[in-house]
Amino acid sequence: MSAQTDLEDLLARIVLRDRAAFRALFSATSAKLFGICLRVLNDRAEAEDALQEVFIKIWNRADRYKVTGHSPMTWLITIARNHAIDRLRARKGGGDTAEPDLVVADPAPGPEAQAIAAGEARRIADCLGELDQSRAAAVRGAYLEGETYADLAARFDVPLNTMRTWLRRSLLTLKDCLSR
Amino acid sequence: MSDRPTISPDDSGKAAEYVLGLLPDAEAREMRARLASEPALRAEVLAWERRFATMAEQEVAPVTPPASVEARLVTHLFRDDARSRWQWSGLWRGAAALAMAGLVAVAVLVFTGGPGSRDEPDFTAIIAAEDGSLQLAAALDLDSGQLRVSRQSGSVADGRAQELWLIAGDAAPVSLGLLSAEAETQVAVPEPLRALFAGAVLAVSDEPPGGSPTGAPTGDVLAIGVIEEIQA
Repeated sequence: MSAQTDLEDLLARIVLRDRAAFRALFSATSAKLFGICLRVLNDRAEAEDALQEVFIKIWNRADRYKVTGHSPMTWLITIARNHAIDRLRARKGGGDTAEPDLVVADPAPGPEAQAIAAGEARRIADCLGELDQSRAAAVRGAYLEGETYADLAARFDVPLNTMRTWLRRSLLTLKDCLSR
Repeated sequence: MSDRPTISPDDSGKAAEYVLGLLPDAEAREMRARLASEPALRAEVLAWERRFATMAEQEVAPVTPPASVEARLVTHLFRDDARSRWQWSGLWRGAAALAMAGLVAVAVLVFTGGPGSRDEPDFTAIIAAEDGSLQLAAALDLDSGQLRVSRQSGSVADGRAQELWLIAGDAAPVSLGLLSAEAETQVAVPEPLRALFAGAVLAVSDEPPGGSPTGAPTGDVLAIGVIEEIQA
């Protein structure tokens, strides 16, 4: 919990244009976010550019962090993943990604949300493990490799509509498992 | 223990597809329109962001980026004062957009930025209540004496006022003025008081409208924060 509080504190200071806080946040989180950019983009130079752009977004949008009700790491990872996916899809040409910062939460039910998040964090590996291996791979492919339904249908050699039914069912199974 | 029991499996699936960027264009547009008016759907989108981010946090190994990334970032963001002035106005535009969307009530102060005042703050403090019911972030620029206090959570009780105090060592608290009920308060700190900031404490007390009638805090201390010096 204290690591999370530290990041909260840094983000609060970044809203006030505190450069020292920004550099501290970079040093605490850049390796994780770079790992995510690398995983999505699979290209070191491009991941470096993406990481730089991600931190520019963080600097410019820190004031919006609070309204999402997310933990700091969830917010940071969401920005990094979505930015990297945008780049990936621009490279491939076309496609539009949900812009998460357009979504604003209702004032977060703090402790309850934190308890749910902590429970999910403990269970996520087990719950992914309960999914059929190829279905878990499809979930990871969509989130971390930016695969579209067309990509997934080709990879698993099934019709597109079947792929959609299949992935949606897997996601709901995952959600049920996480909330058990 | 589900987040929002009201969400249907179909909508939960759509929310997940939206977060993954899998929805066909027409359905994504429809989803954006619905999100504006459906809090339960917004909550589900955020819940999926959280679930996927949790997966990534646990499964993706950290990789230290080369130092050149941080160097480029610092150069890009901090070298040019004009640029940071622009970023401030961008911040307020963002706040204005939220206000217009009716999501948070913020009064937008027109920021005029005095010459040379856009350097990073010399002192900052997070002034917080222990139970999190009130949190403010404060930053002082030593040269201009401008103290910005931004309200991050909590509000001013109806018919009451919140007064900001500087407490240096064993000296009596010195009033820095009343806090605006809005998002940000700007205080011009007189030169003799600026010298007291190092190692001091900022506190907020509950006071009658118009502030403490005695010149010393009269109500409860609502929040307190230690002032920290920013190393250049």
